[in-house]
Order: sequence, then C-alpha cells, then structure tokens
Amino acid sequence: MLMLQYQNLLLQSVLSERLDPETPPLGIDQVVSDFDNVTFHISNPDPKDKTVIMVSMYIKCFQDLVKCGAKKILEREYGPYLTEPEPGYDVSLLLNLTDGSIPSDPEQRDELVNKIALLKRNTFAAPFEKAFDKFDQLAEEAAAEGKDLYAPQKSDNEVMAIHYRDEESIYVRPSYDRVTVIFSTIFKDETDRIFGKVFLQEFVDARRRAIQNAPQVLYTQKEPPLEIRDVVKPSSNADNMGYVTFVLFPRHLVASRRENCISHIQIFRDYFHYHIKCSKAYMHSRMRFRVSEFLKVLNRAKQENVVKEKKTASGRTFKHPN
Amino acid sequence: MAHLGTPAVVMDNGTGYTKLGFAGNDAPSFVFPTVIATAKGSSGGNISRKGTEDLDFYIGDEALAAANGPAYSVNYPIRHGQIENWDHMERFWENSIFKYLRCEPEDHHFLLTEPPLNPPENRENTAEIMFESFNCAGLYIAVQAVLALAASWTSNKVTDRSLTGTVIDSGDGVTHVIPVAEGYVIGSAIKSIPIAGRDITYFIQNMLRDRNEPDTSLKTAEQIKENYCYVCPDIVKEFNRFDNDPDRFQKYMADQGLHRRATVDVGYERFLAPEIFFNPEIASSDFLTPLSEVVDTVVQSSPIDVRRGLYKNIVLSGGSTMFKDFGRRLQRDIRTLADDRLAANQRATGVKSSGVDVKVISHSKQRNAVWYGGSLLSSTPEFKNYCYTKQDYDEMGPGIVRNFSLFSMV
Amino acid sequence: MSQSLRPYLLAVRTSLTAALCLEDFGSQVAERHNVPEVESGKSAEALLNPMTIARNENEMVLIEPSINSVRVSIRIKQADEIERILVHQFTRFLTGRAESFYILRRKPVPGYSISFLITNFHTETMLKHKLVDFIIEFMEVVDKEISEMKLVLNARARFIAESYLVAFD
Repeated sequence: MLMLQYQNLLLQSVLSERLDPETPPLGIDQVVSDFDNVTFHISNPDPKDKTVIMVSMYIKCFQDLVKCGAKKILEREYGPYLTEPEPGYDVSLLLNLTDGSIPSDPEQRDELVNKIALLKRNTFAAPFEKAFDKFDQLAEEAAAEGKDLYAPQKSDNEVMAIHYRDEESIYVRPSYDRVTVIFSTIFKDETDRIFGKVFLQEFVDARRRAIQNAPQVLYTQKEPPLEIRDVVKPSSNADNMGYVTFVLFPRHLVASRRENCISHIQIFRDYFHYHIKCSKAYMHSRMRFRVSEFLKVLNRAKQENVVKEKKTASGRTFKHPN
Repeated sequence: MAHLGTPAVVMDNGTGYTKLGFAGNDAPSFVFPTVIATAKGSSGGNISRKGTEDLDFYIGDEALAAANGPAYSVNYPIRHGQIENWDHMERFWENSIFKYLRCEPEDHHFLLTEPPLNPPENRENTAEIMFESFNCAGLYIAVQAVLALAASWTSNKVTDRSLTGTVIDSGDGVTHVIPVAEGYVIGSAIKSIPIAGRDITYFIQNMLRDRNEPDTSLKTAEQIKENYCYVCPDIVKEFNRFDNDPDRFQKYMADQGLHRRATVDVGYERFLAPEIFFNPEIASSDFLTPLSEVVDTVVQSSPIDVRRGLYKNIVLSGGSTMFKDFGRRLQRDIRTLADDRLAANQRATGVKSSGVDVKVISHSKQRNAVWYGGSLLSSTPEFKNYCYTKQDYDEMGPGIVRNFSLFSMV
Repeated sequence: MSQSLRPYLLAVRTSLTAALCLEDFGSQVAERHNVPEVESGKSAEALLNPMTIARNENEMVLIEPSINSVRVSIRIKQADEIERILVHQFTRFLTGRAESFYILRRKPVPGYSISFLITNFHTETMLKHKLVDFIIEFMEVVDKEISEMKLVLNARARFIAESYLVAFD
C-alpha cells in the first residue's frame, strides 16, 4: 500500500452493509478511530429501533475548524442528515432507513456511503476551502489592480491555524498568487527524527529534480517560517520542532484539481509517518536476514560430533555421564 | 467518553483469523483471515536496490483475492498460534493499523494476544516491532485463555469474577483445553485435541457426498454446520425422533453462483457432526478420547487445590463451541465422570465427599471471546497503568515484556 | 575491496588468530570460580597487552587478550547522523539476539559499536579459524550493509516523496 486512503474503510463497509435494504437491521454500537485524533461512534440512538443509525464524530480541533467554516461545509455535504450532536461528539448524522431519506438506487446509495466515509476529510477541508476561495478573491483583485507580481505581498492576510494534534498544527495562509500550507512536525523518537529528515530532504529536492509542477516544499527547523511567526505559540519543545511548508501555486488550485488537492494535502502527516514506519519495518526485515546469514557463518565454526568415543588404556569404552 | 483519550487497539491474531478493533466495543471491527499476499519474487532475501517492493502486498480477504492472480503468492505468518514469519507479520500489522484501523500508533495503546506457552523470545520480538517500528504508545500482551475467561464475565451465570477456570478454545484448526489458576496458565496440564471446526465441516461434506447430494462443496457444508447443527443429549433417541418427525429433516438452498441454485437435504448430520467432539470414533480412527474426558484429565492433572475452581468455571471460546446445547451436554458428561470418580472413591475409603460442582459457561460473546475479553480489559481505566510504554521500552530494552502484571479487575 | 581495507582486515585476522590461544584457567581470586579474566580484570598476570588496529579514526578494532578469553571490540564507520542511527539500530538488533550468537557481548566496550567475548570454552567447542572467519566476515558485511541500508533509505525517501508530490499534478 503506497497511498493511504482518504475515506474511513470501516464506516464505508459498515454503512454500505447496513443501508442495503436487503440486509436485516442489526443493532450496532462501535467506537472507531481515525487519524489525527478523530473518533467516530456508530450506534442506534434508540437501542430498540435498529433502523435508525447515528454516526457521530469527535475531532480534537473542531473549534479551530468551525472558525474556518466547517459548519457550512457540513451543511452543504450532509444537510438533510445533520442532527443535534451526540453528547461528547462534535458532529452527528442521523440515518433513518425507513423514512425514505436513503436513496433506493444502489448507485446513489453508494455515493451517500462514500460521502459519509469522507466525513473527516470534508470537515478538515474547511480551512483549505476557505483559503482557496480567498485566493480566488485576492487573485482577482490583484489582476484588476494590475499589480506587479514581484511586488512584496500584503501581510494582512489571516493565517488559519488548526491545532490538530497535541504539539503539531497546520497553518494555512492564502495570498494572491499562492496558498501556503505549513505543517509543524515533531518527532518523539530519535530514529524517526533522522529518517524524517532524510524523507523531508527528498520532498524538498523532488521539485528541483523530477517533478517541476509539484508544489514547492520547504523545510526549516526550530525557527518557524516568516509567514506564521506571529501565530506560532511558544512551546517548551521549540528546538525539536520542524516546519514543512507546501506552497500551492495557481495551477494546483484550479477548480478541477481543487478537491483532490485538499484530500491529498490533508493526509500529508499520516502519509509521511506511515512511510517512516514502513521504512523501519523494512530495515527490520533486512536485519533479520543479516542475522540469519551471520548465524550461518558462525555455526560453521561449530565442531561436528564433538563427543567422540573415548577408550581407556585397556581398550574398554566409557560413556560420558551426560 | 471519547475525551478520555483515544481508544486502545485490540488485536487478536489467531492461526486462522485475525480480529481487529477498538477497546470498549462489543465486537471486533474487522475479522479476516491471517493471510498476507506478497508479490512474487520479493520474498526471500529481499535485498533490492529500489527498496519499495515491500509495500506491494495485501492482507486478509484482499490477499486471498490477489492470490488468484499470477503476481502474488499467499503466506500464513502464524502457524499453530505462534508467529513464524516475522517479516510478514510486521507487514501484516503495518497494514492492519494504517489501512484498516486507521490510527496513528503513537496515540494508541495496544493489546495483543498470545497463545499459551508462547516463548518469551516471541514476546520480545513482538515488542521490538510494536515499539521500534510503530512507536506505539503502550503495549500489553495477554494470554488468549485468560482473556477468554474475562469474556465469560458477561454471562449472568458468573457470580464471582475470578481468573480461575478451564478454557475450551476451539477454532478452525485445533481445540485446546487450558487450565488457568488466578490468571496464570498451568502449562503442564494443557491438552489439545485434533478435532475442531474444519473436521466437522469435512464430516458434513462426507455425509453429503455419501448421499449424492447435488451440491457437496465445502462452502455448503460450512453453511450447514453454522446454521443447522446442534448437540443432542442422546444419539439413539435423536435418531428415533428424526424418524418419527419428518419436520426435523430440512432443506438448504445452496447458491452455486451464476444464478444456479441447488437444494440440499439436511438430515442426521444436524446432530451427528457436533457429536464428533463427544464420540470421536464416528469420524476419526486415531483420536478416540471424548472432549469431556480430556477436560476431566486436564483438571485432574492440575494442582489439587485449584481443581474445584477449574470444575466450577469451564468456559467456552471460539467458533466451534457455538453449537446449540454444546455447553449443556459437556457439563452433563463431565459431571457424570466426576460423580463416578467420587462414588468410586467413597466405596473404597468410606469417606463421604461434599461433591464437586461442575459448571460449563456459555455466553453470547463466545465466538470472539478472546477479542471481547481483550476489549473488556483494555477499556478499563487502569489498563494504561499495566501497559509498558515506549519510554519503559527505551530504558529497559525488549526484555521488559517478559513479565506483565496481571490485571486485578473489578 | 578498497585499497586500505584489505591490509586492515589482514591485520585483524593475524592478530586475532594469535590472540585466540586460550586455555582453561581457574580464577585466582575466588575459589572454584572460572571467569573470563579479561572481564574480571582481577589478576593482572592473566591479562596480556591489548592492541588497537585502526584503519582511520572512525574504524578500529580493539583486541584485549587474556589467558582464557579474548575481547574483540569493533568500531563501525559512522560518517553521518544517518549511519550513526543505522549502526545503533543494527547493533541493538544483534545484541538483542546475543543468545544465539554465543560469542556476542550484550554490551559493547565504551567507545566501540559492538563487542565479542571469546572464551576458552568457545574455542574448545568451535573451530578457531572459523571463529576468526566469522569476525572478519562480520566486519566486511556490516560496513557494506550499513551503506546499502543508507542507499535504500534515500532511494525509498525519494520514491515516497515523488509519489506524494506527483499526485498534486
């Protein structure tokens, strides 16, 4: 598996089974987690009524996302199914299998299921959508003013900060000719840190070497990049902090690519950490192979049939007590 | 509840099936075969320049599907309950965590299971992978039999939540009878029986073949096993009952694909198939000891001071113990054996015994009992205190996992 | 094999063969004890002069002979941070499996990456020249393996980065 999936596999499989009118309704109560401190809860709000399914989601940084207009996106994507959030969760969708709100056409139903499986992705899309819209607006203004593209940028553009993990955040900053997305990263483990550095170096070099059209990637350590210097909270771990900057250019932001771009940039941290872990697993398997090779060499040194028959002077044999 | 932190991950990797899920749930989120399909030519030394061939693999049902093509070959990383191929297992976990469970292992505690008598080196290897490759936040490795005992607490027949009892764990390949005292497995007394789910399926298939049924596939036999079989108190009476009451013969519609259907009669195999646990001679010629006798021997070869507890709490676990009335029949048979022994003893010595209480416990979570027990344990607030953390591991090395403190749960 | 590696390995081989002249030797300090003298270090007369064979400042071998045991410590080349962590991982992986390696010391001598302890009991059950072969093979392979691992890591990182970035296009 090279790429991580954008949708939640369990939500997808559970719902496609449950929403199918041919399967008999069954009770369900499952807590499921997803990347980036997201927890789902699939349940029947009324344990006796198995035809009503509630899907709730808890996101650690929900308040940050709301500030960027997450509610609007949820309303747009899931409007008819949205309901009062279950206590302890941030978003709840209610699916009633009997009142006709679930499409009967299998294709439409699959579409709905996939949409719900993308619940996390769509909620996290808020800051990106907002930034991309802002970019459109700024770009238009800039074009109208006939602005010199090389002139220094205005600095009053708001930076959106999403504190999605305890010590890590995403910052999104739109501008008239680009959208800058910055991930702050921290490694708990020394090996991860060094592997991470190798990986990030390749991310930085990739554009120069192979893929000219890719977003520009920059990596800085300790010092936050200029764009977000004002918003970064001072932390005790500032020395270990790294900042990965993605510069998305207008070509990445055209309408046809926008959705894919949002999905893809969101998954960056998970993709990155997933591959660090895979590399370590790969190193392990190499080392296992080496160990077995070394053992083969070492075992060649062992003498075969060490215990030889020993005879006394009179020609009688005696056995070793063992 | 979600705010107490991320739920712990419970992974029960068995020889046949892997169960994955999160703590607190009453059923695993994923159940699939413990199979990995790797690209042909990449296994073996796996020394290659590009270094990404190891990402090209599938696990579970996808692996079985991929293996139908020419490019992949199937591997079973676990044999006889123990992990044999660590390279494959590491990648199996990699995919389980990132593709199926979708969690960042740094944020979650993990509960893994191991078979009884697992060598400590295997534990160390497991810890090495979980901590070094995945940086998991915390790890607890529990013995499957102990978890099965914990799972039985859901039954209302269980009054005191003790970790003493005899676990009968019957999966697809093999059946184990494992005595557990105060949470510790009595290794010397464990017995296994070469009769399990697969043998029952084959038995049914043979009966279907003998009768020249229109569909005698393994799948049909399996469906009949799961949907029609039950345990009867007495075979002779059951034969008579079948002959007097034709309703007991049923029909099964076998779907052969491509809209072809065949009707298969289901007859005596309904009660005969599970009977091979109690009378193995009807199916096998080399193993002849009934399950009840094996259980009795196991208890008798355990230390004398725990035998009472072992008789009192016989717990079932695994798919092949799911037959209706399996527990009742087993309880009756074991009780007969125990009572006979007591009576003989009384005749010989003249001392009257107070009797032995034999109880077999069936419960609704029996099928995935081990996983469910793990889910129960890891959802308790104390669970995290019993785990070893990444810091512990870094400080003490892999040897740390040789001992896990037992949970003294409510 | 590079120019300087061959004489280096040859020197290690000869010195090691010479040092592996061991005999059973009971402890003079504790009655009925038999300990590797090089480890206990309690009887100076049982120890011989240690020697260091260095290829350069980053790669060297320390051989500490004694009457009944020899300790061989190897410092593996670690040119940069990546090699350092790979060597660390590799040696830890090996020492974790010291049980099956008989002669591997669970802890390296300070300043070295990995140590072996060969006692007279090892030379009695194993062929001496094959043991030397093993140490030499180990030294050769470890260097190669570390640099190969580094290459693979880089290649892998490049592939991963490119696959991610190409999806934006």
